[in-house]
This record gives sequence, C-alpha cells and structure tokens, in this order.
Amino acid sequence: MSVRIDLELAGLGLPPRLQAVSARWRGGQVIGVVGPNGAGKSTLLRLIAGVLPAATGTVSLSGRPLRGLASRERARWLAYLPQQLPEDCPFTVREFVEMGRYAHRSPWGGVGGHGWQVIHDSIARMGLGSYEDVPLSQLSGGERQRAGVARCLAQESPVLLLDEPISNLDVHYQLDMLQRLRELADAGRLVVVAIHHLEFAARYCSQLLLLDKGRVYACGRPQEVLTAAALRDVFGVEAEVFTDAHAHLRFTYLYPREGDAQRPSTAVQAGEEANR
Amino acid sequence: MTRVSALLVLCSLAVALAVAAALEVSIGPMMIPAGRLIPDTWAYLHGARSGDAVVMGAIRWPRALAAVLVGAGLAATGAVLQAVFRNSMADPAVIGVSSGASLGAVLTIQTGLAQLNAWSTPVGAFVTGLLVVYVIYRLATLQGKTAIHALLLAGVAVGSFSSAMVTLLLSLAPLETMQQMLFWLMGGLDGTTWMNVWMILVFVAGGFVVYLGHAHALDILSLGEEQAEGLGVPLQRTKQVLFATSALVVGACVSVSGVIAFVGLIVPHLVRMWVGPRHRLLLPASAMGGGILLALADVLARMALQPVELNVGVVTSCLGAPFFLYLLRRHYQAFERGAKG
Repeated sequence: MSVRIDLELAGLGLPPRLQAVSARWRGGQVIGVVGPNGAGKSTLLRLIAGVLPAATGTVSLSGRPLRGLASRERARWLAYLPQQLPEDCPFTVREFVEMGRYAHRSPWGGVGGHGWQVIHDSIARMGLGSYEDVPLSQLSGGERQRAGVARCLAQESPVLLLDEPISNLDVHYQLDMLQRLRELADAGRLVVVAIHHLEFAARYCSQLLLLDKGRVYACGRPQEVLTAAALRDVFGVEAEVFTDAHAHLRFTYLYPREGDAQRPSTAVQAGEEANR
Repeated sequence: MTRVSALLVLCSLAVALAVAAALEVSIGPMMIPAGRLIPDTWAYLHGARSGDAVVMGAIRWPRALAAVLVGAGLAATGAVLQAVFRNSMADPAVIGVSSGASLGAVLTIQTGLAQLNAWSTPVGAFVTGLLVVYVIYRLATLQGKTAIHALLLAGVAVGSFSSAMVTLLLSLAPLETMQQMLFWLMGGLDGTTWMNVWMILVFVAGGFVVYLGHAHALDILSLGEEQAEGLGVPLQRTKQVLFATSALVVGACVSVSGVIAFVGLIVPHLVRMWVGPRHRLLLPASAMGGGILLALADVLARMALQPVELNVGVVTSCLGAPFFLYLLRRHYQAFERGAKG
C-alpha cells in the first residue's frame, strides 16, 4: 500500500444495536473488536463496510467520507468478509477468489493480466496454492476461512474487515490465520477483525475495541483494555490477568461473577473460552 | 471448466439444438423426410406456396422457432432466478410470474381487447407479469432489504391467486372464448405465427444480453446477499434490473405459449451438473438446453396421442413435477445430513 490509510469512525451507530462508536485507526495494524455475544461486533463491521446503512455517524477513509460511494467503488477501499460462508459453495478456490475482482472488472471483460496476478498471489499468500482447482465445498473449515480472506485480498483494498475469521477453527489454524493477518498488517493494510478469543486477540492485535451492549467500553492497547475490571463488568467473569514468560497477556478465569443471574449465557461463553 | 471444454459444450449444445429444431419441423401428422427439409425451406423463402413448403414455412418453422425461443427464455430466466433467490427451486412458474402474465393475456381476451388489436395480448401479459413481480417484491421488502424466502412464498401465493382469477374468468367466459383462454392455462405452441416469433426473439435476445451482462454478479449473488454487498455488487439495483428483465422475458414467452412450467426449473439444474456453477457458461448453456427440451417436448405433445394433440405445457408438467419432487427430496436429505454431520 503506497498510501498510508487512515480509517475514522465518528459517532457511528445503529441504535439500539450499536451506539455512537468513534475511533481512528491507521494502516499497519490489526484491530481487534471484542465483546460478549450480542455486543454489536458484527453490526460494527457491517456499518463500517456499508453493508448495513448507519443511522448515525460517518466513516471516512483518509479524510474522505464513504457515505454515498457507489458499491463497487467502496469495495475497492474496504473488503468485508461475513461470518458465514455457505458450506455448499460449488465454486473452486480460484473462481471464488476471482469474485474479489468484481469491483475492478467490467461486466463484459476478463480480470486482465494484473487481475490474475493478484488472484494467484492472494491464493498463495493464504497457503492455498495447491487447492486452486478444488471446490470450496471440499475444503476444511480452516481452509475455507483462508479462501475467504484470499478473496478479500484480491479486492486489493487497503482495509480488511473480517467477522470472526477464526471461529470454528482448531488452535493450529487460529494461530496460523492470526499470524497471516499480522503479516498483512505489517505490509501496510488495516485489518479490523471481530474475535472471541481474548488471549489471542491480546497477542496479535495492536489495538482492541471492547464493546458492551452496543457501547464502547474501552479502546486502546490490549493490556489497557483487557483488565480484570473489564472482564468482570463486560463478560461477567472474575479473572486474574497476568503476563506470562513469553510476554503474552494471560487470564486465569476463576468463576462467573457471583449473583449475576442476568448474563448466564455470556458467563458460559467466557468459561468455554477458558477451556479452549 | 477450461475455455476449450466450455467451447465444446456450447458447440455440442448448438448441434443438439439444430437437430431438435429439425425434428420439430419434420415430425408431425404430416411427415417431412429429412432430405426435403432444406430444399423446401429454401423454396418457401423464395416464394413457393405449395404443399410441403407451406406446411413447413408457415406452420412448422414458426412453431419450432417459438419453441426454441420460449424454451431458451424460460430456462435462462430460471437460471437467473435460481441465483438471485439462492434457491434451486425458483422458476418463473413457481414464483408466480408466469401465471401473472397469463392472467393479463386472458383478461385481454375476456374484455375483447384481443379482437381489436393483436398486440394487446402480449402487452397485457407483460403488464400483469411485471405487476406480479412488483407486488411480491414490495411484499418481501422491508427497510430496503428483500427477504428471499418471503419473496418465494409471496410468489407462490400471488401465483395461485392469479391462477384462480384465470379460472374464474374462464368459468364466466362464453364457450367460444373458453377454448382460447384454456390455452393460456395449459400452455401450447399451436397456431404460432411469424409475428409471434419476431416478438419473442426481440425480448428473449434482449433479456439474454442483460442476463449475460450480470453473469459475474449472478455468480456472487448465488453465494448470498451479504457476500454480494461486500464484494461491491449494487444489490438493490441489480435485483431490480434482473426482476424487471425476467418479467419482460417471461411475459413475452407466456403471451405466445401460455404457462409452460418446469422448463426453467429442470434445465438450469441439469446444465449446472454438467458445466458447473459459473453463469457466463451456465446462461448460454441453459438457454440452448431449454430450446432443446421444449422443441422435443412439443414433438412429443404433437405425436404421443395422435390424432389428439396435447398441449406442450402438459408434457413439461408431467416431466417436471416428478423432477421437482425428486429435487425436494434430495435437498431434504442433504439438509438432514448437514444437520446430523
């Protein structure tokens, strides 16, 4: 990315699901959006992507507001990967990634030499080089997620918005995916990722945005955001927060906060995370 | 599919289409030997108006071309609707556009407009076909978002309503127009004129160009709407263009042939198994496959119970309904497997 990208959210919201989110992020970072189920993580990504129209606020990219931009133009700036990829997708990896070129091609033309270069590079970068002709329906969950990210890369957009790209993956693929996202950010992109796994979020994201019931609870560096108080208030769990020998932020979940009968589901959720 | 095998597929379909059309021209109560096909057609084109030449030139050729064009229009539209609805059971007849269009056609006959002007029937069919699409589209759209399953169900309901209205008009009609109106319910190609052929040609060819221009968008739409928006497909506009185009194509087809069900359902399915899911190939292959199927079905309709001539819509429904049930069963099984796995 030659241009240093700068994504600014000003009071972005869609009440009651999400209230006025403001943030400013530069390229070269992985931003983690964290929070319990239903906190508004997916909604935030959709609003930024413009897939869902915002009721309040604006998104601007390097000073240019995105509102009113045609769909194709917007897809050249922001690539958005929804949470669910259809499992029965009949397209091959190459055909699937080629769809990422939609915003760059004319209805009648091919993707062009540069387009093919980008497609092959994107596939190779996600480690799917030997799967180009394999239908997506025959890939494992982890490979399918990587194909999704490869399609986003083919959009050649400076910003990637990924909704839970590591959910349903085993620990190997989770780390693998996060490492690859880190590398993409190091190359200058801005990667915004909704993520459930707090320890991995802390380890791979340069900044975290913690959402609680549609509001921003905290925003900043992982160790500033994921405090024992935040885990108690937002997730309803008691936890010890410490830094381990590898300088990674770690949590020891003790128990769901006592007497908090209102959020049993999130307590279970957080408990499951502790077991992963 | 590679470029070469795609070309091979299209070429073999083109040959099959030519054969099907030739069969449709030569087989009938009066058989025309294959050897007479080209000389007689040539003679008709140069003004010969006797015997075989007239049967072929004035009756068989328009009917064969109409069968090919209607089949192509319905099958291509079926492929488009299946992608947009993300539902392999969508078809112009299933979502009610066909019966909507037939209601318009029958209304023009009932009111006597059809006697005043030959174009009033096709225009009536377009108008009500479009109206049905608009109504089901509005019913299923809330806050700028169109729920596909609601669209499909609304289509079924509005389609049944239009069919009921057609039946109502039918039962009120005097005996002599009843026969004419029955034709729109059952679907048939007898009595097709060259005028009809030019009219459908314009709409089917025009619609096909619009469809093909959206081939990439259709690939993406078949994955779901959220994927489509993220990739830069202007969702609402694309759907509006495609729905309006399909109403025009189906309206044109219905105004000539009446409701011919299941061609738009079966053909894209079979073709997809063969050529894969990409619409740049799926659309032309489906169009040709639809032409082949309808031409052959029409031969069957004409010959099966001689001297009685069946309506071709009866033949396609007899073939299509079991196929539809088979699909339903297979989807259900896949769903069950998915739920357990």
